[in-house]
Amino acid sequence: MKPVDARLRYAASARLFFGLGGVLAALQTACIVGFAWLVSSTVVAAIGGASLSMLVPSLAALVGVIVLRSAIVWLMEVNAARGSAIVKSELRRKVLASVARLGPGWLAGRSSVRVSTMVTTGLDALDTYFAKYLPQLILTAIATPVLVVVMLVADLTSGVIVVLTLPLIPVFMVLIGWATQALQAAQWEKLGALSSGFLDVVEGLSTLKVFGREKRQVGRIRAVTDQYRVSTMKVLRLSFLSGFALELAASLSVALVAVSIGLRLVGGDLGLGVGLFVLMLAPEAFLPLRQVGAAFHAAADGVAATDAVFEVLSADPAAADPAPAAARVASALGERTHGAAITRLWVSHGPLDDARFAVQDFSAELRPGTLTVLAGPSGAGKSSIVGAMLGFVPFSGTIDAAPIAWAGQRPSLLAGTVFDNLTLGSEDPSRALVERALALAAADDIDSAIVLGVNGAGLSVGQAQRVAVARAVYRLLERDCGVLLLDEPSSALDAATEARLIAGVRALAAGGVAVLVVSHRDAFRLAADQLLELAAPALAAEPSSATAALSAIRSTGAVR
Amino acid sequence: MRATEVLRLAQPSPRAFAPALAFGLLSALSTVALLGTSAYLIARAAEQPPILYLSIAVVGVRAFALARATFRYLDRLAGHGAAFRALASLRVAIYERIIPLAPDGLAATRRGDLLARLVGDVDDLQNLSLKVVQPLLTSLLVAVLAVVGVWLLLPAAAIALAATLVIALVLGTWIDTRIAARAERELAPLRGSFADETLDFVQNLDVLAAFGATDARLLHLAETDARLTRSASRRAAGAGATAAVVSLLAGLATVAALVAGVPALGTALGTALGGQPLGATAFSGPLLAGHTFSGPLLAIVVLVPIAVFEVFAAVPLAAGAWRQVYASASRVASALPDALPPQLPASGVLDALTASAPPVWASPGGVPPIIRLVDVSATWPVLHGPHDRQGLAEALLPAPEPALRSVSVTVRPGERLLVEGPSGSGKTTLAHVLVRFLEHEGSVTIGGVDVRELAPEEVRTVIGLCEQVPYLFDANLRQNLLFARETATDDELLAVLARVGLAEWSAARGGLSARLGERGALVSGGEAQRIALARVLLADFPVVVFDEPTANVDSGRADTLLRDLLEAAGPDRSVVLISHTPVPPELVTQRLRLG
Repeated sequence: MKPVDARLRYAASARLFFGLGGVLAALQTACIVGFAWLVSSTVVAAIGGASLSMLVPSLAALVGVIVLRSAIVWLMEVNAARGSAIVKSELRRKVLASVARLGPGWLAGRSSVRVSTMVTTGLDALDTYFAKYLPQLILTAIATPVLVVVMLVADLTSGVIVVLTLPLIPVFMVLIGWATQALQAAQWEKLGALSSGFLDVVEGLSTLKVFGREKRQVGRIRAVTDQYRVSTMKVLRLSFLSGFALELAASLSVALVAVSIGLRLVGGDLGLGVGLFVLMLAPEAFLPLRQVGAAFHAAADGVAATDAVFEVLSADPAAADPAPAAARVASALGERTHGAAITRLWVSHGPLDDARFAVQDFSAELRPGTLTVLAGPSGAGKSSIVGAMLGFVPFSGTIDAAPIAWAGQRPSLLAGTVFDNLTLGSEDPSRALVERALALAAADDIDSAIVLGVNGAGLSVGQAQRVAVARAVYRLLERDCGVLLLDEPSSALDAATEARLIAGVRALAAGGVAVLVVSHRDAFRLAADQLLELAAPALAAEPSSATAALSAIRSTGAVR
Repeated sequence: MRATEVLRLAQPSPRAFAPALAFGLLSALSTVALLGTSAYLIARAAEQPPILYLSIAVVGVRAFALARATFRYLDRLAGHGAAFRALASLRVAIYERIIPLAPDGLAATRRGDLLARLVGDVDDLQNLSLKVVQPLLTSLLVAVLAVVGVWLLLPAAAIALAATLVIALVLGTWIDTRIAARAERELAPLRGSFADETLDFVQNLDVLAAFGATDARLLHLAETDARLTRSASRRAAGAGATAAVVSLLAGLATVAALVAGVPALGTALGTALGGQPLGATAFSGPLLAGHTFSGPLLAIVVLVPIAVFEVFAAVPLAAGAWRQVYASASRVASALPDALPPQLPASGVLDALTASAPPVWASPGGVPPIIRLVDVSATWPVLHGPHDRQGLAEALLPAPEPALRSVSVTVRPGERLLVEGPSGSGKTTLAHVLVRFLEHEGSVTIGGVDVRELAPEEVRTVIGLCEQVPYLFDANLRQNLLFARETATDDELLAVLARVGLAEWSAARGGLSARLGERGALVSGGEAQRIALARVLLADFPVVVFDEPTANVDSGRADTLLRDLLEAAGPDRSVVLISHTPVPPELVTQRLRLG
């Protein structure tokens, strides 16, 4: 990590806190100088014979400085904590907006729990950076030079000693940092494996119990942890050296200053007041630097922990391709009111110029009033065709479709009532339409007032699946969409419920809707007017035969 | 298990801990001594004594400067070393307590990341000695020693120092605790609802996009975020209070030392000490030569509190670290109940039973015994999982009702029993009853012997389980097979791989040394099932339970996988096949429908 991470430009709101932090740091420096000056002059006056009553004004001033100093300490921490909270909020909003812009296609390859953890607790790792490291960095940038100048003015020799010792700190730290880095690079993989060794055993415990091997692992845990200790200590011996260099430079410079002042005092070249004053300032010049050093590693870890956040932000140039999903779906709105035609559709696994294709030259016609079933083994491109129709994945070819109402493989229900879920995106929810949609989706046994938790908790898998279908049906009915697209709508349903669902879907088709169902269930195949069967892609064992991946389309064409 | 018990396990033994404590103490003492000696040196020098009188102070200043940095380095090394050593025994102790609970008695197993968090909590406990006990002990000992040292010079100043330290300790810790408690009360629910909404948003982004509801949701999230941020900003007012209090008292300690010291200048030192001779104090002869409270001693008394408070600043930080460590310990403790829940079979009677002659079928590879279930019901334990830090959905709803109800079935040698039913009908529960992960009502007999008369471990030598999501260790293919039969040669392993249809697959990946990635990341669902079967074949269980082997396999390949699995299992073995998708009728000999 560089002293100030350039990627934090994403957090524009941080600037105000930098500015305020600078002002407070300057005040803090003034307090340090004032405190040292008042203490040293009071001691000198007392030794010179001043009585306590004569010292009352300086003592009162001292108390004033002390109160001011602790108030500034408080304000600095408040500023840092507030700054951190506001910067995190700004980053959270930016990341969520970016995730929304990048769309479901981008999310497909990622764990949604990990993405949301990154936005919530993941960003808390930045606290060490904003609330601890940066304020100390600002303080160092202001306090250390000012204190050095004050010392130079008060006592040139001491000032020079500090000026000469200070640069040793960064030099030592850089040298030691290089050495540590080289060692860490070599050790990193090993350390990672060793630290996760315990988790690996605990997570695999049920498997170990099946094979009666659970008790043998005790020795392995001990050995792995011991190896972890030995390897880590090897790294720590070096990386603690940077702390050692800081402490040593700071305390040696205090010692040098003290001894030099002492010897010159004996010679009568210097006053006691100046001597004590400089002695008290010397450690203060090093203190912020030492604290920056102490906070640096934690801050670097924190920033590294938020790498994923900045990756999202940089992955989102506003003109990302694919275009935002909502826009793509909307663009299809005006072109057609019934059915859909897919012509020469190609979808690649990766970027569009990638040679590997999930869908190759797929064409199909979804006629109003018909039920089309799309089948084939996974990997044949079913999901990619659905994704392309919804505008979630980039594709080449043309898809000319009436507005699509869709239910995906996962129910994807939101927290809230079943009613809220059904009327998602609706400006004027209709209870009658909700009841009708539930009935058509064979879900009329589900009370629309049931409140669901996160991720649709509260319904069984089969119930959730039917609610998701009902949601698509609601949209279809409300918006008069021409196409109903259902992805594996019956995988968790028993045969009787499936039959009712098929009847509902057929009824919708009879009303002039073009229905496309992705399903491997025989009941749906038998009910289809048109069956599109995708061929299996090339087997993993023979990746060279690219031609086998050509997804031949066999349309039965049996329109009933 | 109580949190205190967990904490006791986490703290290194006194002998292992002593060097770190000693080095830490020496380093902190050097910090105080460095400033004290420097102040004395300068103030004494101002009296322009013969330079010889200063030489000891000069040596002292240099020595303390070196000692502070060196001892600090040694302290950190020794402290980490001791903490890591304690971690090894802590991990083992926790693991031994997890064994009887796993898998069904661990709340964590129902959601993978909770288990990772439990392990993370165990590992975080090493902060107990590093960030709590050691800084606390060091700071307190140094504070006491400094007060004693100042007492020798000027009792009044010592009392003032002690008073400010005690006030700082009590007030600082009290404020810190109160603020943290309030933050927890105010912020935790807000964080929780923000986390829930975020997860909802991210997980359902496709639906939100397709239904044109993304912007509305983002707006709603921004509102929740704004509430969270407002609350966090308000809380920030308390954030610096502890540091401010410590800073204030540190300054007041200096003022108090001046107030106590100035009138005492010139008074005899001995008066304060009841006339005791002072030769044995830590200070050198010249220091006390005058036997009066002199200017140089005033400098010490005034400057020492500054250094003491520098060391003492670690105490409020330790209080914060203590809260985190205690929270980790509580979570670990709550995940590990003292008594085994009644829904889990007790373990550990194995020794008593193996003493008697083992039944013939107990040997692997023998003729499978008849398994008979009569009126079997089973209930999952109600678990109160470790409290979720982020408030992400706690998916642990109590399951008061039996997950499996009154099942009776007989599996004869070599039979293939298909267990079918919708999800939630108790299929996995049945599998876990069969391998004694779960206790049951009714009777389960193996070859006529009630399983309750056997140790669970013994039952598991007869009945093997291919889990729905087979666990693959972060190791190579060989190690992932070998633990099922440790004596197996490479040729035997390759033969088993060929039997389960993985010969080409493994050859293409570099044979038995192929790495499977973290949690088998490089292995597909079907391949993982085949590896799991290979293990079961190696262990040679007479009875094998397959729990939804095709759950993570696409439908087009499911039938092939099922055929391969059953064929590889061989004709003699008894098989219980659990599936929620249709299974070709010719593959099974008996069906059991649940739900």
